[in-house]
Amino acid sequence: MGVTPDLRVSLGRLTLPNPVMVAAGAFGYGLEYRDLVDIAQLGAIVTRSLTLAPRMGNPPPRVVETPAGMLNAIGLQNDGVDAFLLEILPQLRSYGVPIIASIAGETVEEYTHVASKIDRAEGVAAVELNLSCPNQARGGMEFGIEATLTAQVVSAVRQATTLPLIVKLSPNAGDLVSIAAAAVEAGADALCLVNTFPGVAVDARERRFRLATKVGGLSGPAIKPIAQYHLWRVHQALPEVPLIGVGGISSAEDALEYILLGAHAVQIGTANYIHPTLALEVIEGIRRYLSEHGFDSVEALRGALLDS
Amino acid sequence: MQRYEVAATVVEHQRRAPNQYELILHAPPIAQTAMPGQFVMLRPLPTHAPLWRRPYSILRANPDKGVFSVFYSVQGTFTELLSLKPIGSTVQALGPLGSYFQPVRTAKRHILVAGGTGAPPLCFLAARLAPTLQPDERLWFLIGARRSDLLVGVDEFRALGAEVRIATDDGSRGYKGYVTDLLQQALEEPIPSAVYACGPNPMLQVVSRVCRERGVPCQISVDAPMPCGIGVCLGCAVKVALPEGGVWYKRACAEGPVFRAEEVIWE
Repeated sequence: MGVTPDLRVSLGRLTLPNPVMVAAGAFGYGLEYRDLVDIAQLGAIVTRSLTLAPRMGNPPPRVVETPAGMLNAIGLQNDGVDAFLLEILPQLRSYGVPIIASIAGETVEEYTHVASKIDRAEGVAAVELNLSCPNQARGGMEFGIEATLTAQVVSAVRQATTLPLIVKLSPNAGDLVSIAAAAVEAGADALCLVNTFPGVAVDARERRFRLATKVGGLSGPAIKPIAQYHLWRVHQALPEVPLIGVGGISSAEDALEYILLGAHAVQIGTANYIHPTLALEVIEGIRRYLSEHGFDSVEALRGALLDS
Repeated sequence: MQRYEVAATVVEHQRRAPNQYELILHAPPIAQTAMPGQFVMLRPLPTHAPLWRRPYSILRANPDKGVFSVFYSVQGTFTELLSLKPIGSTVQALGPLGSYFQPVRTAKRHILVAGGTGAPPLCFLAARLAPTLQPDERLWFLIGARRSDLLVGVDEFRALGAEVRIATDDGSRGYKGYVTDLLQQALEEPIPSAVYACGPNPMLQVVSRVCRERGVPCQISVDAPMPCGIGVCLGCAVKVALPEGGVWYKRACAEGPVFRAEEVIWE
């Protein structure tokens, strides 16, 4: 008791004031929540995935609620990297919160082009490579489920930017550990796992799929046990690699579970939609837990699961 | 516009029809700033299933008393949870959200068209609009429902002095047929009119077409699945024509729910 815990975490070269980030796509470009949330307190804001040209996204219906979760097939709708750099970033960086730019693409060239534009901008703390979007016809997840392709795109982006590089992985890979190893080998500073799980939802009365694209990505509390399983497995195989856990976090306890399983940091996704101030409550909850249990830092708690 | 996340206190569940209630909530910041057409996202309990909040159009708001109300019918787990909230308990409420109806001041007749559960935002609009009307301006309310017991807002509109016309699918009250037929008939009269509509999307599509054919300005409040309600998730996409050409998906929760009818592209 009486400890004032150190919430700072380091993911390789990237140091964050606390381990709680908001996930790509779940916090807009970063400014949308500013009247509801003190965004300067966040560990980091990961932007909506940015592409080279504006993308209109998929036709509606794009979202459907499922038991303790939701499917989305937004299709990476965004205004393009240039609009972000010109219109959003100058305002966003005035908050002093670490900004992580999530980038997506259909080709290796698109990824590297977007990454080099971000590299030239001022005020971005890191790049997160979205190799795992299940809602693209081309690119995206294709790169993230095969080790050779993963290595190819990661090393190309590695050469396009000197910023810390996070690679966000898809749970759809046959062997996530080998993909993770390939990403690290190719220059990733940290890994973020996992993105959404592919799923479908059916309206039996109308005899139709509930999403226009049929398939969407499942997120929310329903995926927490499987997301945690993937994180734990990768941590066991690659104990030195900084990992960011994401999937189904809706309380401080959920976040602490990820840290106990080996995560350096966590991201909150779907829960932001339902509970905009959750990330701040999770930061406070982690601080209280560390203090009450006598841990002087997040680092001290990481991986501290008792075996029996 | 400032949005507020508040624990709103349940004042009353007022029964309006079989299984249908007006939920009155005490939440001064929302009651004081809400505009007709705007909505709130409600969460009765922090459950994982149901997971999402649900959007509810604001039915009326009393800034002096700090209360506002929404209309709900009990059908499914979410509305059951809502209906079970005791008086004095709290419901998480986020709002006011989205765009609102903008009265067309050149119109001599304001026609509010409601279908199904679309009446609540139009009741709010009528309550704010009626006191501002000039002597030569009229308020009309056209409402359609499947059956007479599902009609909402008829008495309110009559009390405001509106011309009320009713359509039911089964003919149990008023004209037997669609509310859009009533709109066609109303627009036969050569009075400069403006239309404000809320209801199922197929109805809005017809309303939009009828108004376009006659050059009548029309605003519609659209419905879409809404995980967040605050412009972040991009789930509630509505296809629109851009003024500079081309099409794009706008958000029903942020640029909408009220759109100019000519903007929306129906598919």
